[in-house]
Amino acid sequence: MSAATSQTMERKSASAAGAPSPVLDVLALTIALPSAADREHAVRDVSFVLWPGEILCMVGESGSGKSMCANALMGLLPSSVRITSGRAMFDGQDLTQLSEAQWMGLRGARIAMIFQEPMTALNPLMRIGDQIAEVFEAHGRLTPSERRARILALIAEVGLPEPEKIARAYPFQLSGGQRQRAMIAMALALEPAILIADEPTTALDVTTQAQILRLIRDLQKRHGMAVLFITHDLGVVREIASRVIVMRHGTVVEQGAVTDVLERPQHPYTKALIAAMPSEVVASASGVKADPVLRVRDLRKTYRTGGGLFRPAREVKAIDGVSFEIARGEVLGLVGESGSGKSTVGRAIVRLIEADGGQIFVGGEDMSGLHSDALRRARHRVQMVFQDPYASLNPRRKVAGAIAAGPIARGTPPAKAMERALSVLETVGLDRAAGERYPHEFSGGQRQRIGIARVLALDPELIIADEAVSALDVSIQAQILDLLRDLRARLGLSLLFITHDLRVAAQLCDRVAVMQNGRIVEIGPAADIFLKPQHDYTKSLLAAVPGLAWREAAREPA
Amino acid sequence: MSAFWKRFSRNRGAVLGLIILAVVIAIAIVAPILYPQSPWKMVQRPFLQPFTLPAFPLGTDTLGRDVASGLAHGARVSLLIGIVSTFVALLIGVPIGAIAGFAGGRIDDALMRLTELFQTVPNFALAIVLVAIFQPSLASIVMAIAVVSWPPVARLVRAEVLSLKTREFVDAARLAGLSGRAILMREVLPNALSPIIVMASLMVATAILVESSLSFLGLGDPNAMSWGFMIGAARTVIRNAWWLSFFPGLAILLTVLALNLIGEGLSDALNPRLAREGR
Repeated sequence: MSAATSQTMERKSASAAGAPSPVLDVLALTIALPSAADREHAVRDVSFVLWPGEILCMVGESGSGKSMCANALMGLLPSSVRITSGRAMFDGQDLTQLSEAQWMGLRGARIAMIFQEPMTALNPLMRIGDQIAEVFEAHGRLTPSERRARILALIAEVGLPEPEKIARAYPFQLSGGQRQRAMIAMALALEPAILIADEPTTALDVTTQAQILRLIRDLQKRHGMAVLFITHDLGVVREIASRVIVMRHGTVVEQGAVTDVLERPQHPYTKALIAAMPSEVVASASGVKADPVLRVRDLRKTYRTGGGLFRPAREVKAIDGVSFEIARGEVLGLVGESGSGKSTVGRAIVRLIEADGGQIFVGGEDMSGLHSDALRRARHRVQMVFQDPYASLNPRRKVAGAIAAGPIARGTPPAKAMERALSVLETVGLDRAAGERYPHEFSGGQRQRIGIARVLALDPELIIADEAVSALDVSIQAQILDLLRDLRARLGLSLLFITHDLRVAAQLCDRVAVMQNGRIVEIGPAADIFLKPQHDYTKSLLAAVPGLAWREAAREPA
Repeated sequence: MSAFWKRFSRNRGAVLGLIILAVVIAIAIVAPILYPQSPWKMVQRPFLQPFTLPAFPLGTDTLGRDVASGLAHGARVSLLIGIVSTFVALLIGVPIGAIAGFAGGRIDDALMRLTELFQTVPNFALAIVLVAIFQPSLASIVMAIAVVSWPPVARLVRAEVLSLKTREFVDAARLAGLSGRAILMREVLPNALSPIIVMASLMVATAILVESSLSFLGLGDPNAMSWGFMIGAARTVIRNAWWLSFFPGLAILLTVLALNLIGEGLSDALNPRLAREGR
């Protein structure tokens, strides 16, 4: 309610000062979910204004209704939900009342949108230039020759090299960042008044993310567009937004200028969100014993693709001579962007993929030499926690059964294995009763706990966590990191923590290895890597972390 | 389970199919009680029009046999052959597809070439040849239908296994030290069950059609009254005794339609994400 009153005040003061009217004025928007859903409304009583030439960030965790809001403003709501009340005034018309025909005139021309995953948002069978041309065609603008010139200008404007070549390229020939730039070019084609960006950088690497954020900010200034930017990352908010709306369970909990909300949060939820953010406070290295639990020597893996009778195969060196050690009780972070080979290293160590060369010693035994039955018996020594908590549990198996399957395969009597399964569930902070339920009854964070419990049941010497918290909301992410830290202290776990997120690595790891193009470019104590990076690549990675400057500034007075 | 029924019953066609099939099954079960005499027995004058004598509501055929009795006993044969031959086809197709998909490499190549060998021969022609070689009997018809209908099952199961075996929970099971067999049986196949069930329900319908076609050509079991045989025997008199081919034809149509509707309903209920809108 207080949000709504401050809203009206804001509106009044703006009109009194003779300021331009808002480009979009959303008032008490309520969107009902189908009756079977876990709550009644996707979005309830949401009011905000979007001023011309500003970037407004809508931030919230998954299920907060932020994407539903964006879809409502684009007329893209799924048929099972409907707008029950409220208005969204744009250009003197109420967006909630438009017919499909009216929407077609508006979408792309006056309100444009870019999406999280540029690969799926682009048509894979159509050249980039043709896809941009389609926007003009759909709205009957320009002659074909004018279109061609405009397309090349747009491609150049979004900072893509060699516009002629890009226009003729197919989406798969571009990198993730280039595809997102192409999406932005499409969105800008008709000079929209509003650009809605739904998590446009979430699927991108940090360095690419920093570039795209800069591009969006530049374009917004140059074209005077209003941008509604949806994200879950407060660091991104800090980088780009002028104002911010914090959403939770479909309602607005707080809104205001970025500096006010982030530095003087009023609502407890906003405070909790900010507190849950990974900070750069580097974990102090704990006492590490000298004897290594894992020794990797000159690990190599090359992928060959394509190639035929007359064409040489394309070779990608996913792992190019990687060597490192993990001491017993140590947490080593393996950090890199996508394609750096960090996940390949993890999978090669547990032998889910076969390396081409090199040795992997676990507690002195060469794992790379084992085969079939011997390998199967030795597997419990290194276990893995996977990234996707939804894909890593068998949907048709009860939790306790899934956890007990490993120990039973190793010869533990079933009754004892089940008892152990229930006790490890307690260890990771779940009820014993959870064992009798199926994975779909749990949230993402709880499933990740189950994944950890499954690993613990096998008493491994080393755990590899492959992006184990990357798919989780920040507050859940913080809980899982706490759990890992706690387990490590209690059980003396050794951990290889693979992540793309430097902020997360900083919190947990004793030492960090930075990977680029299949090689470790820098390895050392976490504090050294984060505070005194030596390699250029490490420096550029650190510089690209969104909102870094803000938190450094915030830390200094403390 | 209740959620499954809720989704299934949302598809009105599927519920209708279930009702029709229930009626057909009920008729098949009570046939020996309703018509204790052999359906082959001549009971009235030939070419008795339907709806004239209450004792023979659907009339009699060219030799004076009761059409209603033939339909009821034919339901037993059709359903039995449909279900048993589908079961046998699954018994052949599921293991072949599962092993091909899971093992990969040369084993996959070998099994898939074998599958293609069967797929390249026209189904019905192969079925005719098999029944002709082994003498028409219920067993040989079941085997013939199973032999021509397993390749699509194998392909479906292989595709499912191929996609499931790359999932992380399968990796996790592998890391836990489970044997390949245990992973296939306990982790992979249970997740491939939904499409197999849907396909099986449609295969029962196809099997009934194939059996009817074989019987129509005179390749049915000579001791079992079946719908296809009734139509085949009546085809020469179709102009003056329409009911002889009409009622068995209607029975085939309704049963096959019912099974298809059920299959579609199962598909919607088991894959709620793929369910089409507006139903």
